[in-house]
Amino acid sequence: MAFLEINNVNKSFSKDTVAVQDFNLQVQTGELVSFLGPSGCGKTTTLRMVAGFEIPTSGRIVINGKDVTDVPPNQRNVGMVFQAYALFPNMTVAGNIGFGMKIAKKPPEQIKKRVEEMLKLIHMDGFGERYPYQLSGGQQQRVALARALALSPSILLLDEPLSALDAKIRVMLRSEIRSIQQQLGITTIYVTHDQEEALSISDRVVVMYQGRMEQVGPPFEIYNFPQTEFVAQFVGTLNSVEAEVVDPAGQILQLSGQKIQAAQGVENKQPGAKVKISIRPERLSFANEEKKANLLECTVETITFLGSIVRIRVDVGSLLLNMDTFNNPFLELPKIGDRAQVTFSREAVLVL
Amino acid sequence: MMRGGKVWAWFIMFLGVLYFFLPLLATFIFSLKARLGELSFQAYINIFNSPQFMYNFLASVLWAVFTIIVGILLFVPTAFVIRLRVPKARSSVEFITLLPFVIPPIVYVFGLVRTYSQPPLLIVDSPFLLIAGYTILSMPYMYRSVDTGLRSIDVRTLTEAAQSLGAGWTTILFRVILPNIRTAILSGAFLSFAIVIGELILAQYLVKPAFAPYMAYVMQQKAFEPAAMAIVSFALTWIAMGIISLIGRGQQVQVAGGR
Repeated sequence: MAFLEINNVNKSFSKDTVAVQDFNLQVQTGELVSFLGPSGCGKTTTLRMVAGFEIPTSGRIVINGKDVTDVPPNQRNVGMVFQAYALFPNMTVAGNIGFGMKIAKKPPEQIKKRVEEMLKLIHMDGFGERYPYQLSGGQQQRVALARALALSPSILLLDEPLSALDAKIRVMLRSEIRSIQQQLGITTIYVTHDQEEALSISDRVVVMYQGRMEQVGPPFEIYNFPQTEFVAQFVGTLNSVEAEVVDPAGQILQLSGQKIQAAQGVENKQPGAKVKISIRPERLSFANEEKKANLLECTVETITFLGSIVRIRVDVGSLLLNMDTFNNPFLELPKIGDRAQVTFSREAVLVL
Repeated sequence: MMRGGKVWAWFIMFLGVLYFFLPLLATFIFSLKARLGELSFQAYINIFNSPQFMYNFLASVLWAVFTIIVGILLFVPTAFVIRLRVPKARSSVEFITLLPFVIPPIVYVFGLVRTYSQPPLLIVDSPFLLIAGYTILSMPYMYRSVDTGLRSIDVRTLTEAAQSLGAGWTTILFRVILPNIRTAILSGAFLSFAIVIGELILAQYLVKPAFAPYMAYVMQQKAFEPAAMAIVSFALTWIAMGIISLIGRGQQVQVAGGR
């Protein structure tokens, strides 16, 4: 049995607005699952229902075998970390971390010991007597994490915990969160709109759109085998173009007058039908080194240097495709306006 | 151009200060003339030695303290719940809190007397009615101070953070919300204090001992003592204001979610 079960949960705030629709998820003990999606997709609402801040319109939420759907948030024993840190400004770091234990009427020595343990866990020994306003954003969020973990909650909930931080601290802190989560083996739900964040720290990702679960799976699967156009578009960058079915049995399509072959997904289409296909930019390469199953004649349109990668935009007939290649100092790049051939495998063609 | 504007600004400010301080200065000088031919604090000595003054003054202080307590107990939870749960009601509640500015106290006190001087609500003699009345008159100050205080913290997130750590409503209110709006509550309290000390009509018509009605009474009998009392009441108000700004300055403004 899963540790956290979200069964057939629906939530609407008024008659016409549905925030979450038919949400079903089983989270195993110690698993980190992210809810990924654009703002307004229902990810935070779902998290808040697990925390108890919102009550589902229908459906049940079960934590460790106990139905908590109607249990108030202060009796659920879930730890929560907010985007806005939400440290209590009138309390020191130690006061914040020990707050939950103080409410639970734990003896002072035990609280003190636990606070010190927690400070060690977040690498902030000696910060106990400081006030939140004396800390940087990253430090405040680490304290918020320690505060949420101090009571040894059954589930840790993180609501866009890194969105308010600088890019560098964000990357550092997310691996710290992941390592603490794995160290404690705590079941965790992580809400984010940042696909890189979700892909890098999760055991599984739930991609959400307009209140619905679009796809659930490990990061690798979500990125490489998106099942819907939304997932393909939202996770990573993508070339999404229209093609015409030529031969369903042979998986042959026509793109701007040139034939290409997919690995799967065309068999059920009618000849002549228009279909959306997607190809990741990194799956394309120039054909001068290695030729793959598909080959397209093109003209180089623009070249954009993005640091670790170089993005080349090529014109295939009337369609523009992005191609990503790793940067290296000896990279021989074509010139704008050059004729070239791009190549990609059959598997790179995602028919949606 | 800038210089000219600045000079004018200072000049107009100077006029404003004169307008405000001259009558006060005149009252002060007058209050020192209780003894013929010399300046003395005789009028002040007289009023502080008068048992009636102390009686009425302490009565007002007592009313003020109760008004502040009732005000805090009433308006802090109200403003908190409105911010948290019914933000849509904010504008109408704000309008209600401003009503004491619009309705003259004399109209208000007649309403109180009429409503509460017949059974089953025969409580017109009770000091509680007076305190209730003062609470309403000080509502614009108390409620707005508290509301401003709540605006400076992220009430909702702090509440939820406390909830997820196991706190109930009382704990949240007393350990999380109140300490963080302490300055706002104190400034509301001192404003309420100043209002109650200076309020004439309510106590007069509800026939209760209070500082302002006593001052009005003395004014009809004596010359210098009322002037001295006016200065004393001004001084009290200013001390209250001074304390507000002192507390405000010492406070580290810290907003949840602030970076």
